[in-house]
Amino acid sequence: MLVLLALIFLLHIATITLLLAATINNGWWVTDTMSTDVWARWVYQNNAWNYTSLPTSYPQDYLQTVQAFTVLACIFSILGLFVFVAQLFTLKKGQRFTFSGIFQFIACLCIMIAASIYTDIFHKNEQGSYGPSFILAWISFALSFISSVVYFVLRKKTA
Amino acid sequence: LLTRTPFPPQSQAIVIYTGWERHALVGSDVRLSCSFFSWRWTSEDVTFSWSYRPDGSRDSISIFHYTGGAPYVDNKGPFRDRLEFIGNPSRRDGSILIKNVDYNDNGTFTCDAKNPPDIVGRPSSVRLLVFDKLPVQAGVITGAIIGAVLGLLVLIVVIYYLMRFLVARRVFNLSVSKHGKKGKGKEGSQPRQVSLRPTCRYTVACFKTLKHNTPQLNL
Repeated sequence: MLVLLALIFLLHIATITLLLAATINNGWWVTDTMSTDVWARWVYQNNAWNYTSLPTSYPQDYLQTVQAFTVLACIFSILGLFVFVAQLFTLKKGQRFTFSGIFQFIACLCIMIAASIYTDIFHKNEQGSYGPSFILAWISFALSFISSVVYFVLRKKTA
Repeated sequence: LLTRTPFPPQSQAIVIYTGWERHALVGSDVRLSCSFFSWRWTSEDVTFSWSYRPDGSRDSISIFHYTGGAPYVDNKGPFRDRLEFIGNPSRRDGSILIKNVDYNDNGTFTCDAKNPPDIVGRPSSVRLLVFDKLPVQAGVITGAIIGAVLGLLVLIVVIYYLMRFLVARRVFNLSVSKHGKKGKGKEGSQPRQVSLRPTCRYTVACFKTLKHNTPQLNL
């Protein structure tokens, strides 16, 4: 039982870590000389990586929406961790971890919205490929979904 | 007899403040502010000087000068009839107003102020950017979305706990009633009905109920 608890906890921590990595690292789209989004752009010039701002041609409203929802996904996932720990101590036996599940589910929705908007709006018809942060964003979508399902199904151990 | 030689007034550095960048819509009026900090009192010989360097050019031209208590605005250059002095030199404000800006006005405006004997200082520059459509500031929409969602979350939690509090204080009545279904003779299906309704109709009576049900201290 303790192993199960540790695994579920680890799953949640992994989700948070991947979400933070996807949000903070500017690597949603990469080319040979550039790693960009969602906050700034790294450009390889004169044998050094330079930190530059995103081009103003980006649709500002969509960009800021993606920024907001990635941050919200991180916030809800981290809050969900605290809610889970609190529920571990306060739930009656046999009850489900619905609150933790709700927080993880909202985080899942947020990162899905962010990643979908990004996939649909940005870098169409451009040379390059999706970078590590983009992949992590979708992986953390899957992980947070699994995590929320686990919380909805799990019951507190009856004596 | 002791005689004192007067100390020569010492010059200290003057610090000039302008904005860093100004964004403006085509056709609008833009105010360029200039102020300074000086250890000395504001002298009567205070001077303000504005010069303009267009984007991509190396030369700057003088467009405004305030000296001897009178402002002198540009009457030959690119800003003739468009420049107005709206500052207050006695309050160390040397701001100017440029009316009806156009794309040609993109450039750097430099303000130089002198407050004798404080004359050593570095002029400060403000960049003017003219847009046809004001771009969204970075982070405005981001902050708005995050704030709205989190605010909604806080609101839901507050309402939830408020309802629990009010149910405990008997201001609301949370009743769970069972109905039996008529006909067909089935007894198994008994849908429960949960309803939340107030125990008191009028506000004054509600407050009295609240007061009555709050535990009182007996001395």
